[in-house]
Amino acid sequence: MSLLDFARGPALEWAAVVFMVGMLWRIGGLTLMLRNKVLSKDRTPEPWKGGLRTMFTRFSPAPVFRRKVAFQYIAGWVWHLGFVLVVFFFQLHIQFFKGIVGFGWPALPNGMIVAMGAVSLAVLITLLIRRMLNPVLRMISSFDDYASTVITALPFATGLMAFAHIGLAYETMLALHFLSVALLLVWFPFSKLFHVFTVLPSRYALGVKFWRKGVKV
Amino acid sequence: MTEVVTKTELDEAFAMFYGMAASIKDLASPEPEMTEAERVGAAKGVFLKAIDAEMATQLDACVKCGACAQACQYSIGTNDPKYTPVRKLELLKRVYDRELSPLRWLKRLYTPDLTEADLRAHQELVYDACTMCGRCNLVCPSGINIADMVALNRSALAAAGLMPAELRFMQEGQEADGTIFGADEDLFLYRIQDLQERLGFEIPLDKEKADVLLVTSGLDIHLFRDATGGAIEALQHMGVDYTLRTDGYEGANFGLLSGHDGTKKKLTNHLVDVAIKTGVKVVIVPECGHSYPALRFYGAEAHGGAIPFEVMTVSEYFGRAVMEGRLKLEKDAERRVVALHDPCKVGRWGGVFEEPRAIIEAIGWELHETESNRAYNFCCGGGAGNFLIESADQLKRTGYRIKMNEIEQTGAKSIVVSCGSCRMNFEVGKVKAGDTIPVESLAALIAAHLPKDKGAKA
Repeated sequence: MSLLDFARGPALEWAAVVFMVGMLWRIGGLTLMLRNKVLSKDRTPEPWKGGLRTMFTRFSPAPVFRRKVAFQYIAGWVWHLGFVLVVFFFQLHIQFFKGIVGFGWPALPNGMIVAMGAVSLAVLITLLIRRMLNPVLRMISSFDDYASTVITALPFATGLMAFAHIGLAYETMLALHFLSVALLLVWFPFSKLFHVFTVLPSRYALGVKFWRKGVKV
Repeated sequence: MTEVVTKTELDEAFAMFYGMAASIKDLASPEPEMTEAERVGAAKGVFLKAIDAEMATQLDACVKCGACAQACQYSIGTNDPKYTPVRKLELLKRVYDRELSPLRWLKRLYTPDLTEADLRAHQELVYDACTMCGRCNLVCPSGINIADMVALNRSALAAAGLMPAELRFMQEGQEADGTIFGADEDLFLYRIQDLQERLGFEIPLDKEKADVLLVTSGLDIHLFRDATGGAIEALQHMGVDYTLRTDGYEGANFGLLSGHDGTKKKLTNHLVDVAIKTGVKVVIVPECGHSYPALRFYGAEAHGGAIPFEVMTVSEYFGRAVMEGRLKLEKDAERRVVALHDPCKVGRWGGVFEEPRAIIEAIGWELHETESNRAYNFCCGGGAGNFLIESADQLKRTGYRIKMNEIEQTGAKSIVVSCGSCRMNFEVGKVKAGDTIPVESLAALIAAHLPKDKGAKA
């Protein structure tokens, strides 16, 4: 079995299994935890409206904070968007998914995908350097924070290198790309990357909390 | 309006009260003797009891972006990364990771358990350096309720016998007497008699049944008597069936501020019981920020079920009366430019924003909003009992400066506020910074602009 066969075969398959089991375990664990009940009368009825509101309003900072946190919001937006578009709208990725789900969908032009991948990678590297240099981020960061950024950046780097035939032989780069994806899948459920599944419920909870008190945020 | 306190009287009372507040650290009982295991066990017990699915989800949602540091007055003012709000949740997160997280079997391998040293190191972060104002909650891209979790940290430290001496003094005093700063029943009655003489009418006291129960606080009894006097005068003017009660006059709750959950519940329950006994429809809590959430958003929780009365804060009650045309106020001869301070516990945590603004508009003053206003308002710098903590002195000044800079930028000639401890912080901050801008009680302003003839009542 070649490295490429191993990477796109057992490595990816087992990584997918670990990802699924890990995600189900963690989501299930959170869902099964008890919930405290609120007894006080709400100042505003239908608090779910506040929850939904905050889920969406928190995609951009409130005007009063914009000057101070614009960079991290925009940087976050750029690389998350780049990640989704590159993963799901690159022609070769769509073919890969078609092999799994049995159907495909329109792809974005390769040039656009490469540009978005490169920008996303640049943003992730910038965020990593910023985390190492910024005193606040350095103080609050753990191994998880650094490792998650690196592990998220690796598929971008290996994918771009494979596409552009940079570095090692194409097949080796492709194998490394698959392995980096496998690493991301294994890392995902056990790290802060799991926030993908908690961020919206978290915003919802805060929105409900404030709405109950008559505050729309 | 009848002047219930002259400026000289207020200045003298302020000096005396300031001296009294400055001495409470020396009067506090010694720190409870507990072993390390007892302290850690007590703190962890509080955390474990409180962490539910919602809090766990929020703890798992943090991406350590550091945005919260850009909302916190102490982080901004000191530029010290140790005050980054999310860092104040580190112990809670560790307990969650080790004991309750679905990944605890893994995280326990590399997450250190709590130690007494950890708890002691945390004291400054969750008492001195956080007023639980909640501004950080509003910048967090993940919507994490950091402030409430800091409150939980206070409860954990309180259970571990590690609350600051000043708050321990206040909590123990209120646990024993029900009131604060020694404002006992005799002093309360003295103040009522004093207000009665100055206002020229009999203040309804200890009525068996009434529609409205007006609550005051030790701070107002000692110092800000214009706030209580203003509320009384306005209620009298409106012809409301109200009463004050010698068995339920204290709105402050140092159980809530210190994190002592037993005292918090006892004090809130006491007010609930008095309100139910008196059959009131509304309890008006005083110009004392935290007294509002202590009853409004914790009353039912403490009581164990719905409570049969409304809870409103002074600015909310009279502001609504103005908005609904039930209370007419006279325009001031001067169109004074003022800034409004939204107390965190009443504004961001209570939704009372438009009511005080309606009052300012009704008296014809020109409100210039601070850049950060309403839900995004900066704390006065010393809320949540911090105004009493000696070791928080520099941080309080830092918070005050940020707040005052925004106020100065409005060009305001006065600050209007409806919270006694915010007012106290402003007054102390002014003295230390050499500022002179007057700080006005909203309740006193209402009373000052009541129509001369009672026919103006709706």
